[in-house]
Amino acid sequence: MNKEQIEDIIRKYDNHEGRILGILEDIQEIYKYLPKESLEFVSEKLDIPLSKLYSIATFYSFFNLKPVGEHIITVCMGTACHVRGAKDILNNLMELLKIDVNETTEDGKFFLTTEDKHFSLNTARCFGCCSMAPVIRVDDKIYGYVTIKELPKILKTYGWKSK
Amino acid sequence: MRINTLEDLKYIRETGLKKLKPKQKVRISVGMATCGISVGGDAVFEELKEKLKNREDIILTKTGCIGFCHVEPLVNVYIPGKGILIYHHVQPKDVEKIINNLDKAEQLDNVVCQIDKWDHITSDEIIYGEGFTNIPCWNELKFFKPQRKLVMRNSGIINPEDIDEYIAVGGYSALFKALKEMTPDEIIYEVKGSGLRGRGGAGFPTGIKWELAKKEKSDIKYLICNADEGDPGAYMNRNEMESDPHSVIEGMIIGGYAIGAQKGIIYIRAEYPLALYRLQKAIDGARHYGLLGKNILGSGFDFDITISKGAGAFVCGEETALIASIEGDIGRPRPRPPFPAQKGLWGKPTNINNVETWTNIPLIVKKGGDWFRGFGNEKSPGTKVFSLVGKVENVGLAEVELGTPIKTVVYNIGGGASSGKKVKAVQTGGPSGGCIPTKFFDLPIDYENLASVGSIMGSGGMVAMDENTCMVDTAKFFLDFTVDESCGKCVPCREGLKHMLFILENITKGNGKEEDIGTLEELSETVKTTSLCGLGQTAPNPVITTLKYFKDEYIEHINNKRCPALVCTALIEFEIDQKKCTGCSVCAKRCPTKAIEGILGKGETFKIDQNKCIKCGTCLEVCKFDAVIKTSKGVSNG
Amino acid sequence: MDNEYIHVFINGQKFKAKEGELVIDIARRNGIFIPTLCYEESLKPYGACRMCIVEIKNKGVKKKITTSCTLQAFDGLYVKTDSNEVLKHRRILLELYLAQAPNPEKIKELAQRYGVKKTRFKEKYKEKDPLNNSCILCGLCVRVCNEIMGAGVIGFIGRGEKTRINTPFFEKSDLCLGCKACAEVCPTGAIKFIDEGNFRIANSWSNTSVELKKCKMCGKYFAPSKLDEKIDSIYYYRDKNNELRDLCPDCRRKVITKRINLITENEVEKYAK
Repeated sequence: MNKEQIEDIIRKYDNHEGRILGILEDIQEIYKYLPKESLEFVSEKLDIPLSKLYSIATFYSFFNLKPVGEHIITVCMGTACHVRGAKDILNNLMELLKIDVNETTEDGKFFLTTEDKHFSLNTARCFGCCSMAPVIRVDDKIYGYVTIKELPKILKTYGWKSK
Repeated sequence: MRINTLEDLKYIRETGLKKLKPKQKVRISVGMATCGISVGGDAVFEELKEKLKNREDIILTKTGCIGFCHVEPLVNVYIPGKGILIYHHVQPKDVEKIINNLDKAEQLDNVVCQIDKWDHITSDEIIYGEGFTNIPCWNELKFFKPQRKLVMRNSGIINPEDIDEYIAVGGYSALFKALKEMTPDEIIYEVKGSGLRGRGGAGFPTGIKWELAKKEKSDIKYLICNADEGDPGAYMNRNEMESDPHSVIEGMIIGGYAIGAQKGIIYIRAEYPLALYRLQKAIDGARHYGLLGKNILGSGFDFDITISKGAGAFVCGEETALIASIEGDIGRPRPRPPFPAQKGLWGKPTNINNVETWTNIPLIVKKGGDWFRGFGNEKSPGTKVFSLVGKVENVGLAEVELGTPIKTVVYNIGGGASSGKKVKAVQTGGPSGGCIPTKFFDLPIDYENLASVGSIMGSGGMVAMDENTCMVDTAKFFLDFTVDESCGKCVPCREGLKHMLFILENITKGNGKEEDIGTLEELSETVKTTSLCGLGQTAPNPVITTLKYFKDEYIEHINNKRCPALVCTALIEFEIDQKKCTGCSVCAKRCPTKAIEGILGKGETFKIDQNKCIKCGTCLEVCKFDAVIKTSKGVSNG
Repeated sequence: MDNEYIHVFINGQKFKAKEGELVIDIARRNGIFIPTLCYEESLKPYGACRMCIVEIKNKGVKKKITTSCTLQAFDGLYVKTDSNEVLKHRRILLELYLAQAPNPEKIKELAQRYGVKKTRFKEKYKEKDPLNNSCILCGLCVRVCNEIMGAGVIGFIGRGEKTRINTPFFEKSDLCLGCKACAEVCPTGAIKFIDEGNFRIANSWSNTSVELKKCKMCGKYFAPSKLDEKIDSIYYYRDKNNELRDLCPDCRRKVITKRINLITENEVEKYAK
């Protein structure tokens, strides 16, 4: 953990509305998750109990407390995606990535990572791309009108190999 | 430069018009809201950029989304003197064809319509050209014809990242009027007179809300734009911010002046990075021209806006939870009183309105409350943008006057079901709303009417469901959502919804009992009545309405263990129609559990081992010969 | 204005009250029972347990169910604490509580009081629950630890039905003062502490432990040192040299009794002369 980097982030949010969430989001942007030491450091710097930061990190679904895979796949589970078969897309992805459904993190969030740490899989409530349902996102790219048929093709562009 | 006088504003206006309607040059703009980008709009833009490197005669820009998402990516081509042509389903390979055939642009086959003139409302009507005589005008299309674009007055036409273009179409002229010619009370009078009601869902009259906030005496007051659009199936706010961010900013500045607030905050969900980027760009642009900051337009009024990002919690759309979140707390609703108008952010009077409410403000100030009342109906004036999605042909954003019948939106604009099946219901209002069956489709859409059938207006999600949608599964879907998004503070919402979900899961698994329906009804009533905040108070609505209008489906699941829509996996089986099967073995190869076996080339030998089948539906999707069928106790799709 | 009273009606009886006073306080003062599992006068109203619901029945106003711990009194307010509708909802809430935490006495007692014999809902049982399957997430412990003690040892973790209360990362906390205020306010007795040798261990809070002070007279361990320091930091005028500070309550009592007796003996002697 780079303390100076986090200090810079904290400075950026001086007396700013939305400060704490903003700081945590910026830290997550660097590490892709919130390392424990970073939370401890922020707690010390801002004089906020660690319990409060931990509450925040586990309350909001955006935050991860564990290291994540190289590529993050997010399946949109919004209404439009649901009626157009998002659940099948999700199940299929779990099959393709060989991810165990019963695995959950200690804060109860749905966030699964493959053994080789190449992919992480989670769900989102709605990307607001309902017109393109069903939709998935890989890292920053959104794929619309996704079908089960083309999932392997999409995964392959991110280095997935069929086993 | 700073804008202080009308002359300054006019000067920028002229600059903007030159960009929007260049005299000698062709202007190509690519629809690049998130929806357009996700189907390849960005690739088209890059290709154009590459191909237009040496073309001085063509200007390339971005624009937002006009709402016709079904045919995206869209590209607008403005040809001086002739007008704007809109191309649909544009792919990078089409780019060359478009730029090399500008002289016969209207003859290309993927032209969807033209824009000859456009009413940006805050300016005089702008004529883009009337030279394309054989192409239908945009408002002659079935999708657009019943629409009335007030909120989406600039969406998909102007470049949302350029403040000059917003000013070119009359932007910030309402702010000018408000600050130079009107007192705060006069503004509130107009807003009250307009009858505008909160577009976030509850429909509280905006003018009255402002009046309450104005009355509070305090050294500091806050104003918040609620951009935490969390309803699954609703994305109009995203588009409003991505396609016309300045209309939100202008509305907020006027609101700040009217209620006496010095600081505005936009609370936006983290899932909308592009909207956030464009809003920030808009704020920077407005600051640059002195439209935000100290002494705005030389009026002595100070106001600034910052953006606060959410982190993925639906409940933060609730006002008190939203405030808690901005203050850096977990988003748990707080008991009222005190109300935010009295003690909101940091204990100061705070006024919160939804994105779409803010975009309406410049219109009301510019054209007057009476003008606004000319749209919509008596109790619900104005328009509402709906995100029409789900199983209709034309999915997209539809802005209609309130009071328009549901059927106009579903059949005329939406074009009916996409599957060839019949539409069976629409779901409005997201997880707080209900499922409205077709027998109510004559109902004019307004706050009271939707409430009268057990749903709500909500933020404007409208999800069409057809015969392949199981209503028990739909109710389960929404409860799964609210159980996951409940903050967990109060017992009825946290525990009650969970048990409702248990019961629904049992029913969809074929383990339902007759008394379950009564228990669901009782629990719904208690959760609705005793929950702390709006989330719990409305979360049972999807269950209540499906129980009311589609009870037969529940009974089918409970008594006959059958899912008529063939959705609930525990109640369906996949089978291979051996007459249709060609023995290509694609299904067997793709089956994740190796449940399908047969001899290659011999269709009659392929069978699904029901013990191994996990009902993922892969076989059905990959089969090219429609040989895989779904069945549920005698019902089948075969 | 402070001397001016308003009148509210609870179950038909007229009571004097101050404007804005919470209805639950007015009821308590006048001996009217309203059940609650999350309300505590010294903390900010929270409104989580929903047991204290009452029905507002004012003329011209739509009948409404709301919580009395957040309801501010106004002149002429008319509430019913046990209307049929209130009872109906309260009973279902109790069924929910019975499914969540069937064992605590307080829950059983309330269920009995309102005639709820069993719950229709699936009981939730968590293996190795540090809170003995008795936590109802009323938040009193978190609030007392943060709002009153300023310690911030525990907080809510996660959200929705997965919400739990514990220390961050489920690890021992070095912020705990060992004051046991959390266990004290817990309505269901879910929070366990034990004193073992010179340590007080919070079993429920990831086995967080705090050191205890040793009595200089009898050698018994009696109070957490950190709590003592905390009190010193608040009551800065406290006499740091007072020898009584280092004695356990029993020995302290003995010493004080002895001193009083000594004084009395002296007095007797004085008058005898």
